[in-house]
Amino acid sequence: MRRAALLLRKDLRVLRRSPLLLAVLVSYPLLIALLLALVAGYANAKPRVAFVDDDNLPETVEIGGRTFHVERTIRRVSDDVVLVPLDRDEAERQLRNGKVVAIVRVPAGFVAQLKAMQRSPRLELETTRGLLASRVTQQMQALVYSLNRELQDAFIAANLRYVDLILHGGQGTFLGRRFDVLGLERAESRVSDPEVREFIEVAQLALDQTDDALEATANPIELETVSAAGRTWALSAQVQAHALALVTTFLAAVLAAAALAAERDERVLQRLARGLASLGEVLASKVSLAALVAAVLGLGVAVAFGIAVEIAGVEGGEPWSRVPALVPALLLAGAVAGAFGALVATLAREARSATLVAVLVVLPMIFLGIVPREAAPAAGWVSDALPFAHEVRLFDALLYDLDPWRTALVEGAWLLAIGVALFASARVLMRRLTA
Amino acid sequence: MIHARGVSRRYGAHVALHETDFDLRSGELVALVGPNGAGKSTLLSMLAGALEPSTGTVERRVSTGWAPQRSALYSRLTPRENVELFARLARAPIVGVDLPDRPAAELSVGQRQRLNLALAFLGDPRVLLLDEPTAALDDDRRAELWQQVAALCEDGGAVVFATQLQEETERADGVVHLHGGHVE
Repeated sequence: MRRAALLLRKDLRVLRRSPLLLAVLVSYPLLIALLLALVAGYANAKPRVAFVDDDNLPETVEIGGRTFHVERTIRRVSDDVVLVPLDRDEAERQLRNGKVVAIVRVPAGFVAQLKAMQRSPRLELETTRGLLASRVTQQMQALVYSLNRELQDAFIAANLRYVDLILHGGQGTFLGRRFDVLGLERAESRVSDPEVREFIEVAQLALDQTDDALEATANPIELETVSAAGRTWALSAQVQAHALALVTTFLAAVLAAAALAAERDERVLQRLARGLASLGEVLASKVSLAALVAAVLGLGVAVAFGIAVEIAGVEGGEPWSRVPALVPALLLAGAVAGAFGALVATLAREARSATLVAVLVVLPMIFLGIVPREAAPAAGWVSDALPFAHEVRLFDALLYDLDPWRTALVEGAWLLAIGVALFASARVLMRRLTA
Repeated sequence: MIHARGVSRRYGAHVALHETDFDLRSGELVALVGPNGAGKSTLLSMLAGALEPSTGTVERRVSTGWAPQRSALYSRLTPRENVELFARLARAPIVGVDLPDRPAAELSVGQRQRLNLALAFLGDPRVLLLDEPTAALDDDRRAELWQQVAALCEDGGAVVFATQLQEETERADGVVHLHGGHVE
């Protein structure tokens, strides 16, 4: 290990003398992390949905005695999509070429059916196939839910006016017919039969509860949303864990690949092979370099997140007490990614190819780890055999889990096993470098 | 001091050196000569232990120093740092080098060759394996090198060197001619 330590010291000295390389190595993964964050933000962007009005919706509609401004109501309940008014042919064309991801159509007679309050009118939704379809369907279901909530309120208010009429009497209209109602209150004073009077009292009591009962029947469960609690997405545990894993993996893999390939480019490996340092010791020095630099940068990223969290006064704060636990995890993650980079270097012909190949291989590995398992199960299986996804889970647990040690142990063991396999493969293939 | 038996080196289908025997005895100064691609560097590298032979064995009974044709050193380290590192790796005493204190990449070809040779002399090896050692050296440095080589041989050491120069072969006790990977 003395000789590996001497080579590591040399590598650190060389790295210190290459400020441009160091700056690129540090800033590139941060840039990738930022771009991924932007892409993730785009994934949350509102999808465009065509709105086809075959019913010639009027400006206002009166339902249950309440006047609805159609355009304003639609705009209010369609927060999560961008509704684009189109005629039917254009909507079909844009759906086919992907400019819109769905068509929502208001069929002829929709408003008339709605006003009649006898049968539920239907909105028609046509979506594309693929990953967005289920998301758009959910958003359109949410839109219809919101519309139903607004209409429900109007219907309940209308129904309650009829109940009020039955209780207190007066003039009313139904399906365009006007009528006078005596009402239970007045009926009670005109009835002498005690059994009928008792029935009227019970009916009055029951009808008095109609208001709450109708609300409860319409909404057995109410969802109360409290905003402004919790932290923003950018400072969430998930983003922190992904950023740490991305920076560690990218930096360590590329650095180890470049450092090992540089030994061959400078023809030093053959000199070392003359008993000055074994191939295993040379490999260990590169893996140690990757682990050390990745740990320093990873800690820097963790501290930067912490400062942002403190400055922003984010609820829940930063788990500073967990930061020391990150150190061995970052070292392990860096070493595994370093072994991966070293393996790449043994396959490449010279340093520039090794660096390029390392970048080309590491990026898909990172993207695989980001793809949600439910979206593409195969990506999840492949990702399990690679270090990135385990690193994410390890950092996530260490930073924010109440009891992180079980997850840390499992993911640490995974990383160790993958690291040993990568190191052993790289050691075997290193003979190519001195040939 | 060095005994090679049946050593050969193959790169895929290409045979750089066919099966060769080689013995080096105390006090000997041996020149390897031959056209480009004859197998001189390959034989020297295998004698030095820098290259694994495809077949055969090399027995080294004493310490060896090796200066490859193209310098093998860390170009971002200064000459002093290169010497320190390789000396520490070899557990040899650190010696001073009379070269500018700037990264080896910024040295002239001749200065890099001097550093390459300085690394070969680290630890006072008993055998030197030098691949075209005087290439890019000025006259004074050449003379200095040949003095060191002669002193080592007189002291019971041995030297094998590859060269393209007729006048250098005249210094040798023995000359090995190589052609197309064969010893002639």
